[in-house]
Amino acid sequence: MALEPGQITVGSRVIKPEDDQTVLVERTLRSGQSVFYAGNVVILGDVNPGAQVTATGDVIVVGSLRGTVHAGAGGNEKAMVVAFRFEPTQLRIASHIARPPEGMISTGQPEVARIKDGLVTIEAYLATGERQAGGAKVTRKLAGARIENGG
Amino acid sequence: MGEVIVITSGKGGVGKTTATANIGAGLAMRGYKVALVDADIGLRNLDVVLGLENRIVYDLVDVAHGHCRLKQALIKDKRFEGLYLLPAAQTKDKTAVKPEQMKEICLQLKEEFDFVIIDCPAGIEQGFRNAIAGAEKAIVITTPEVSAVRDADRVIGLLEAAELREPKLVVNRLRPRMVRQGDMMTIEDIIDILAVDLLGVIPEDEQIIVTTNRGDTVVLMDRSRSGEAFRNITRRILGEPVPLMELERDGHFFARLRRIMGLG
Repeated sequence: MALEPGQITVGSRVIKPEDDQTVLVERTLRSGQSVFYAGNVVILGDVNPGAQVTATGDVIVVGSLRGTVHAGAGGNEKAMVVAFRFEPTQLRIASHIARPPEGMISTGQPEVARIKDGLVTIEAYLATGERQAGGAKVTRKLAGARIENGG
Repeated sequence: MGEVIVITSGKGGVGKTTATANIGAGLAMRGYKVALVDADIGLRNLDVVLGLENRIVYDLVDVAHGHCRLKQALIKDKRFEGLYLLPAAQTKDKTAVKPEQMKEICLQLKEEFDFVIIDCPAGIEQGFRNAIAGAEKAIVITTPEVSAVRDADRVIGLLEAAELREPKLVVNRLRPRMVRQGDMMTIEDIIDILAVDLLGVIPEDEQIIVTTNRGDTVVLMDRSRSGEAFRNITRRILGEPVPLMELERDGHFFARLRRIMGLG
């Protein structure tokens, strides 16, 4: 889809972003509602099943992520998805599409998804990650499928 | 000035019409003047559930198009003083009425009635748009099934977009035993996703089927569990703080026996 820089729509409404890099969505996205943004998106609320968030940059959900999120929609392989409760229907980063394994239960802790070695990987999100060299690190690999660009 | 409440769900078959009939009857039982509006044009049911089908002369579409006066189309209930039905047309479809016409009818009704309760059709298309057009408050009905909860979530989003904020939730057809065994969604699971206030929980009850088939309401029956649930919902609508009833009260004979003997 064609995303114009700085343009955001919530449902059918076009909202002017406060700045052209990151947009705050101060609401819960319910089934059927969607957000598209050329930049990063921070959602202060839940993303329910049936809702969709698409961003060219990172997506951060300050709440439960149960719907579908596409980060790095323009092809940015460094994009990541962070959620306080991580149980998405489907996860897309750049041209990767992943779904959680059957029966995956949320850890209830903040987690981050990003591409590592060509696979969408979910890990515990540690705000002080770089410094915690000795900390135990749990990595969960998702069943990943790569799609062709524009295919 | 009365209050206009729409009862909606998105998904069909979760109990909108039954809830409309019972909540309306419950309010009328308490002495309020209540108008029930069947907005399901083309698939009308509320008249059947209330046992008033054979009294219909004019309907909602006739009123909207000025073929009759509002008073002529209103049917007085046979049991409750103060309960009236504005039936839907059966030979037309949803496009026969416009949201502005619904708004106008609701405005007229709420001048005369304490409560105007609108039975919304399933779906989110024009029938839904019409039904919510004149409403000030909304009650969303769901059953403890993922599909019904998903549709309820969609509908709550659409209600919020239409400025109908803070809808209240009714969970219908809950089976406490299945919930206890982990085979059915719990109330907490549902609230966790929908994040709205709970107005009431109605347990699965065969009496509902019996009464609706007979054109009767369950809210009148003293010993019915679902009837009690509907009476509680009515009281909460009127602003009384009523705690959720214990759903498994009658479940265990021995537990009850122990309680009676002072051992429980």
